[in-house]
Amino acid sequence: MKTVEVVVLIILILALALLITVGFEHIMPSTAVRPPAEFYLYATYNPYKLREYTVMSPEAVTAIVWDFRGLDTLFETSVFYLALIAGLALTRRLLSERAEKPGHGLSLIVKTVTRITAPMIIVVGASIALHGHLTPGGGFQGGSVIAVLPMVIIVVFSVSFLIMRGFTTSKMIIMRSLGLFGIGLTAIALFLVSLIQGTHAYVFQNMIKPDAQTSMPIYIAGALISGTLWFFNLFEMFAVAAGFSIAFIVLMLARTLQVEER
Amino acid sequence: MLSGETGIYILMAVVSLISTLAVYMAVVEKDLVKAVIYSALQSGLYTILYFLLLAPDIGLVYIPVAVGLIPGVLLILISKTERWEKE
Repeated sequence: MKTVEVVVLIILILALALLITVGFEHIMPSTAVRPPAEFYLYATYNPYKLREYTVMSPEAVTAIVWDFRGLDTLFETSVFYLALIAGLALTRRLLSERAEKPGHGLSLIVKTVTRITAPMIIVVGASIALHGHLTPGGGFQGGSVIAVLPMVIIVVFSVSFLIMRGFTTSKMIIMRSLGLFGIGLTAIALFLVSLIQGTHAYVFQNMIKPDAQTSMPIYIAGALISGTLWFFNLFEMFAVAAGFSIAFIVLMLARTLQVEER
Repeated sequence: MLSGETGIYILMAVVSLISTLAVYMAVVEKDLVKAVIYSALQSGLYTILYFLLLAPDIGLVYIPVAVGLIPGVLLILISKTERWEKE
């Protein structure tokens, strides 16, 4: 039985390889840059010729994700939080956040190594998120790197350890909500400013547009922040890290309560 | 002597084949903890593919989510239910 499975798998791989070899010219995308990509690459950091369309960010992917196609990302973010809210609603009766005596966890060596690596994880995540407009990365990437830390702490120490240190689900929900609020506020910041000034601006606007001359700050203290991109990455990092942490804490707490009831 | 581009294509082919093997092992494995580890191995190899295909943004989000967070959630679920897959 197992031999048949292996043979079928090998035939499948060989057939796919043959298909790709035969249809190489039709399947493989051309290496030439297509017209939309050409425009995005030309406009992503171009303060000299395209001042009214550029995002002032050298990272074309982040520029597309948070500026050219910003609304898509906003709705992706809201889908993620809807899933999280559904998870919270499912387990709301199972939660009991009493500060119990922490479990033994793993050995002292593992605990010490975790204490040393914990700040490193946060620094790597923060640098991925806050340099998202300069290098590959962004808010979601950095946030999910940071969210690895609570999981490691839950495995190495215990979930009670995390709760006794103040990382309760309610605090995480507040942090996540602040992140979401920041994203929303950044999206309408220029609109509000122009409303006060009596000028014209769009929702989700970043740099100046031909008919809207207000702009987010490009530099802060000499450092390039690309207007809204830096703020979006910052708030998304907080929101994503808190969101994943809620998921882990809720899963672990639901388990403890179930064991107690038996 | 191989050119750099051919070398990268050969590396991609090898990584894809190993990841297929990892998927196969994850599917047939009865011990679910080992299956999760095989799945994480496949995700790690996919990260190499993403990097070689010039998509480092996806690679950066793939490492923590597919190697760290999803195996974590799956291991928590396995510890809540049963470790061995039944027939």
